[in-house]
Amino acid sequence: MTAVLEAHGLTKRFKDVTALADVSFSIDGPGVYGVLGRNGAGKTTLMNLLTGQDFPTSGTARLAGLDPATGSHAFGAIAFIKESQAYPEGYKGRHVLKAASGIFPRWDDAYAAQLIEDFGAPLDRHMKKLSRGQRSAVGAVVALASRAEVTLLDEPYAGLDAVARQLFYDRLLTDFAEHPRVILMSTHLIDEAADLFQRVLVIDKGRLVIDQDADELRGAAVRLVGPAAQVDRLVGSREVLHRETLGGTAAVTVDGADDAFKAEAVAAGLELAPVSLQQLIVRRTGVQSTEEISA
Amino acid sequence: MTAIETSPAAAVGYPATPLAHRLRAVLRIHFANPFMTLIQPWLITLLIFGVNLAIYGLIAYAAGGADRVEEGAFQNNGGVSWVFVFMIVIAVQAMHFTFRFALGMSVARRDYYVGTLGYFGILALVHSLGLTVFAVIERATGGWWMDAAFFAPLGLAGQPVPVVTYLYVVGFLLALSTGAFAAGVWVRWASNGLYVYFATLLVAVVAFLWVVTTSHAWGDVWSFLTGTSIPTLATWALLVVAVSAGAGFALIRRAPVRS
Repeated sequence: MTAVLEAHGLTKRFKDVTALADVSFSIDGPGVYGVLGRNGAGKTTLMNLLTGQDFPTSGTARLAGLDPATGSHAFGAIAFIKESQAYPEGYKGRHVLKAASGIFPRWDDAYAAQLIEDFGAPLDRHMKKLSRGQRSAVGAVVALASRAEVTLLDEPYAGLDAVARQLFYDRLLTDFAEHPRVILMSTHLIDEAADLFQRVLVIDKGRLVIDQDADELRGAAVRLVGPAAQVDRLVGSREVLHRETLGGTAAVTVDGADDAFKAEAVAAGLELAPVSLQQLIVRRTGVQSTEEISA
Repeated sequence: MTAIETSPAAAVGYPATPLAHRLRAVLRIHFANPFMTLIQPWLITLLIFGVNLAIYGLIAYAAGGADRVEEGAFQNNGGVSWVFVFMIVIAVQAMHFTFRFALGMSVARRDYYVGTLGYFGILALVHSLGLTVFAVIERATGGWWMDAAFFAPLGLAGQPVPVVTYLYVVGFLLALSTGAFAAGVWVRWASNGLYVYFATLLVAVVAFLWVVTTSHAWGDVWSFLTGTSIPTLATWALLVVAVSAGAGFALIRRAPVRS
């Protein structure tokens, strides 16, 4: 079977800056996928290459088995919505929607009208005069109503308030359930969007450092709290992502915790807490740290 | 590539969209808001025309009637040429903004370029026909009752109407295609590309002047220009149109979208 999206050794250099280094992964079927990473990690570069906006320095990007940057096969199949989207001179929101409706075969006018109302997207004002949030609202309408086979969203809700963001997540999941497709979304609001993702790709300094099922990843790390000696004995040689101590008590975030380990910890009377996706990613992509907390 | 595009149920790729549909989508992007490219040029042209006519009227009034003004005094007006210059701007601006937008919407570079050239062709025709209508009225009214020439001034005054239309079309195509080429340079290499482009253009012009001067060929150049009819010269200009348009495509084919 041909993968929907595929990267093989994907590398992009801008002069002496390596924006993306040897990234390989494959997305085989419908799902909501997260591309996570810090600012400047290479998320936008990856999306640009996957949609053929730019050409890789080496390696290949494939959309349904074909090069996204050449040929017309991607027409109507891929929608790329980005925060930094430039709109043609004189465009108002309604012009954006008109252009999109002529491209995407599954474009749904009634659904678009509903979304416009939900998000309060202004259609009769010039795009360049809109606030970031209003521009994002127009982008969100296009992203959802286009129902493209592959939808890429690069920080799609910049400037949207918490209510509008939640609305966006809700609409995304509801519509995805009815019209399954590949949705690849980059964000740095990890915890907020974490529940959307079935799989996450974490990029750090241009490298793909995590490519894992979201549930597995969430269960992979735990926080143990208890007497320091007991905690250390149990942790043994496992990888410690973070460690805090307060007097004789230690709180340690451990990576690679399997069920047996968790059972052992419970049996030893230690306090066991889940680690949020955001915490885990911050710990894994940040420096390993140890803190001494004085009372 | 053609084989892939025409096989609907290939193991790879999505079902192909017919070319006509893809090009229509590009035209729709350009025509979504036609104000700047189709309406605004006419508002400004008519304003310039009105002001010129008023000034002619003023002069004729002061002279004590249009028939008392020196013969041919209102024949040399370059006002209408602004539309052609404006079309260069339109071409550059249209491509600068719509290229990024269209590619984000999954339009292929080649479809984008072909559709955009089609759009430029439509602009050239529509504006040429519009100018022709005014040129015909101009002639029918004896130059707006003042022997004035605004829409077909200078050498165009004596040309048959179809020739005037042809010259307009070529003029617009020349403006739009050289604009498309410059826009291609911009999209492909940004400002550095434009510096090199204009520097090269300057050097080429000076080199041409040198070659013609040192080989004492100005006589030949002059006799070619005066010995060739205006429509034939326009047809030669179509060569420039074709080269510009073709070179523009070569640039766009590998142009990245910058964010």
